[in-house]
Amino acid sequence: MSSSPLRQRPALLRISMVALLLLWSLAPMLWQLYTSLRTPESLLAGLAGLGGGWTLANYSAVLQADPPFGVYLLNSTVVGALSTLLTLALAIPCAYALSRRSDLLKLVIGGGLLAAAVFPYVLLFLALLQVARQLGLANNLLALCLPYAGLSLPLAVLLLQAAFADLPVELEENALLEGFSLGQRLRWILLPLIGPAVVSTGLLVFLFSWNEFPIALTWLSRSELLTLAPAMARIAGSSVFTVPHGAFAAATVLGGVPLLALLLIFQRQIVAGLTQGAIKG
Amino acid sequence: MSLLLMAPALLLLLAVFFWPMLDYAWLSLQAQTVFTGLKPVPVGLANWERLLGDGRFWQDAAQTLRFAVVSVGLELLLGLAIALLLHQSWRGRGLVRSLSLLPWALPTTVMALGWRWILNDPNGPINGVMQSLGLPSLPFLASTQLAWLGVVLADTWKTTPFVALLLLAGLQMIPTDLYEAFALEGGRPWQGLRRITLPLLRPYVLIALIFRLAQALGVFDLVAVLTGGGPASSTETLALYAYLNAMRFLDFGYSATVMLGMFVLLLASALLLVLAQQRWQGARP
Amino acid sequence: MQSAALGGSEPGRDLRPAARQAWFAVGLGLGLALALLWGGLAWASRPTTVRLLMPAPFADATAELVESFNREHRGLRIAVTRGPFETESVSDLAISSLLLGDSPYDLLLMDVTWTAKYAAAGWLLPLDDWLGPEPLAPLVAGAWAGNIIDGKLWRVPMVADMGLLYWRTDLMAAPPRTPTELVAISERLQRQGKVRWGYVWQGRQYEGLSCVFLEMLRGFGGNWESSGEGLGTPAATKAASWLRQLIVKGISPAAVANFAEPEALQSFEAGEAAFMRNWPYAWQELQGPSSRVAGKVGVTMMVAEVGEPPAATQGSWGLSVLAGSRHPAEAVQVLQALTGEASQRLLVQRWGYSPTLTALFDDPALVAERPLLPILQNALESVALRPLNPGYAQLSDILQRQLSSVITGELEPALAMERAGRGSQLLLEASGRGPGQ
Repeated sequence: MSSSPLRQRPALLRISMVALLLLWSLAPMLWQLYTSLRTPESLLAGLAGLGGGWTLANYSAVLQADPPFGVYLLNSTVVGALSTLLTLALAIPCAYALSRRSDLLKLVIGGGLLAAAVFPYVLLFLALLQVARQLGLANNLLALCLPYAGLSLPLAVLLLQAAFADLPVELEENALLEGFSLGQRLRWILLPLIGPAVVSTGLLVFLFSWNEFPIALTWLSRSELLTLAPAMARIAGSSVFTVPHGAFAAATVLGGVPLLALLLIFQRQIVAGLTQGAIKG
Repeated sequence: MSLLLMAPALLLLLAVFFWPMLDYAWLSLQAQTVFTGLKPVPVGLANWERLLGDGRFWQDAAQTLRFAVVSVGLELLLGLAIALLLHQSWRGRGLVRSLSLLPWALPTTVMALGWRWILNDPNGPINGVMQSLGLPSLPFLASTQLAWLGVVLADTWKTTPFVALLLLAGLQMIPTDLYEAFALEGGRPWQGLRRITLPLLRPYVLIALIFRLAQALGVFDLVAVLTGGGPASSTETLALYAYLNAMRFLDFGYSATVMLGMFVLLLASALLLVLAQQRWQGARP
Repeated sequence: MQSAALGGSEPGRDLRPAARQAWFAVGLGLGLALALLWGGLAWASRPTTVRLLMPAPFADATAELVESFNREHRGLRIAVTRGPFETESVSDLAISSLLLGDSPYDLLLMDVTWTAKYAAAGWLLPLDDWLGPEPLAPLVAGAWAGNIIDGKLWRVPMVADMGLLYWRTDLMAAPPRTPTELVAISERLQRQGKVRWGYVWQGRQYEGLSCVFLEMLRGFGGNWESSGEGLGTPAATKAASWLRQLIVKGISPAAVANFAEPEALQSFEAGEAAFMRNWPYAWQELQGPSSRVAGKVGVTMMVAEVGEPPAATQGSWGLSVLAGSRHPAEAVQVLQALTGEASQRLLVQRWGYSPTLTALFDDPALVAERPLLPILQNALESVALRPLNPGYAQLSDILQRQLSSVITGELEPALAMERAGRGSQLLLEASGRGPGQ
């Protein structure tokens, strides 16, 4: 809605602002793309060497490394998918129950969830490392989903609870009258209605698990099991004398492409999820 | 019944968020190091005594605070500008909004590696631009004075879209008639920004502030990959120090102590923020 | 079976499909058994792989040795993991898997300052039973230090480095023996305009600074003990003070507070300084084409007060067997091969490393190729070891911090060293190794 008092701004100013915004947002990644296609010599030559020096060797180096880069993407996808499923499985019942209450417990839990959502989770790494050591959960992609689900729960519960609360009470009351059990109500009526919220929440959880670093770093040591984030850190530390910027850039591009694709495909849902989180927060 | 539905989630939450704090409180009173064969041995308040006199801890605390304040401040300013821009309706707004989310969607460690190259001296693009303008190239990541600015830049780039989106949501809640009434009374656009938009946006600014400040005080991923703590620990943050204490020095008791110290500082900052907000609330008529 | 199901065929012709199927089944079974046997034999006779983690520079230097070893030994293979370039990052990588109890490595190339930590954590295999009596006998005495802790042998050194004083042979007849002499010669040369600076060394806040300080501490009669003590002493204050005075008097540039090895080398190479403290590798660089002082450089021990022996901080890399290794015997075999004479000879000749075996120091052919060897052997005799303490990394950090403040002039030497001493004490107490613990 064109409601801003700044609507008087001339169109030219706006266009240049938009261009600046796009430049600011996209330039760093585009630079990585450019760097990844250049030979090491041409990178040092600057703009003078734009005619030649293009290569795909950086990508083949990264894709054929030991282990191949695709392994990291696969691991992240597996962990992401499972974490999302686990989080939703736990969050949906909890959010439903919470949305149907209005007592002190709800306030306390709501406040606690908010505090947990804001909490910098890197502080938890030591305790979780001890858990991994004592219970033997290390180097296990499935086990990693447990802390991930725990870390994603606050945001997931808050978002889904708001979505449940938005549904009119009569809907459920009618279903109750018609004899639907809780499971049936959830499955046939409520979940379909909050479908968009579930998708948004799921996407945010998936993005989080791809981004997560300290827990993955301490729970995974075998290079073939690393998810994307710790793998990038390991790649970053692996140079000898001349830093292979081209290969690094190729890794950056390959690491960024999956989530970029996700963002572009599901842009509406992701934006909706974030916005809802802001409003309800 | 509803308790039963909530139980699994709440149990996991307690296990993941609450238990670690208790564990750290206990661990900070133990020595669990290579000296003790990595087994916990009670040492009373020795870790806390060490923390108070630990120059590196306080230096890191100051650096972390400096980084957080500057970074979040920049993000709020830029985020507001972007939100105002996206709040108007024009063609292609949706696509631009999604594209501007790109920095936020990229994993931090992935782009941190990219930033190392962008800030490279002398071959990175930023220094390339500077050299073509006749300016000397700056050793961003090798200088103890400048490295933290590189971290601020990378962090601002990554999280501004999130702040922008938050503020955009707030902007969309402001009723349009307020502006129309204001314009009818002869108010100019910039005044409208100051008198209507900003005050009504305050709760959202506060949310963004709290959220981002907490995250920024705990910054770890970016620093670990971009500078590794920077030349001579100049970009080292508290979270990184806590991590090094555990994983490099194998001093678990002290690592827990550092993290509790960090937690206390976090609470103090949050409290200060709330108090400042009350003052701000009270001062404006 | 199947023929019965088909049914309706003539009895005579029934037999052929049945027989065919029977033969087919037998053939399949036999083939399967053979395949399994073959696979089993191959599996059993596959070479034992010993996995070794080394920093990238060493992985490159030993690549040839590893290849020839793998060729000569049929049943034993070395698989080298090329670790990160940064020293500490290699240790971080090893620790991350050791802490989880799931390390894929059998051997680790260890810096001398890590051994105490890894041994105390129980991650290393004591080598006494595996290497026979007097395993370190073939080594120069100075290379023994840092490998035996609490009476057990944990590491066999492969290459050894030590801190040295480089001096300009064209500017003076003989190198200084005491700190005072060094200062006097520097001042004279600077006054005569022959050099811009007197003495360049590593003053940045990093591990190199601890190495520099240790040499001066010893030179002034003090020592940094294995217990971590020794910093809050008068000798430490004298050493720190002397380093600071170098900058105050203009003998060393203020920028030395940011110098690591490359910067100091660059300055000396350009002819800007009369003295430099650096490691043996610098010698080769100084004879290179871009050096302004080629052929005009002498190497000797660091200066020390009258009555105190000169000290050279030891830096060495050696191989250790990890306690969880599934092939300790094979790992020891690889260890002996890589730290043996042939291996060290190649490292010296091809890559310029300094050896640890007496035989190589005494070899005239090798000495002819590398004239620095006798000086290095001499220096190894007066080696100074940084504290062999599991908490060394943290102790070093405390020292670096305080010393750096002294060098930049922010803190008085006496106060800084007292803080370093107190900080070390607090650290050890909080770590469970204070007095009486």
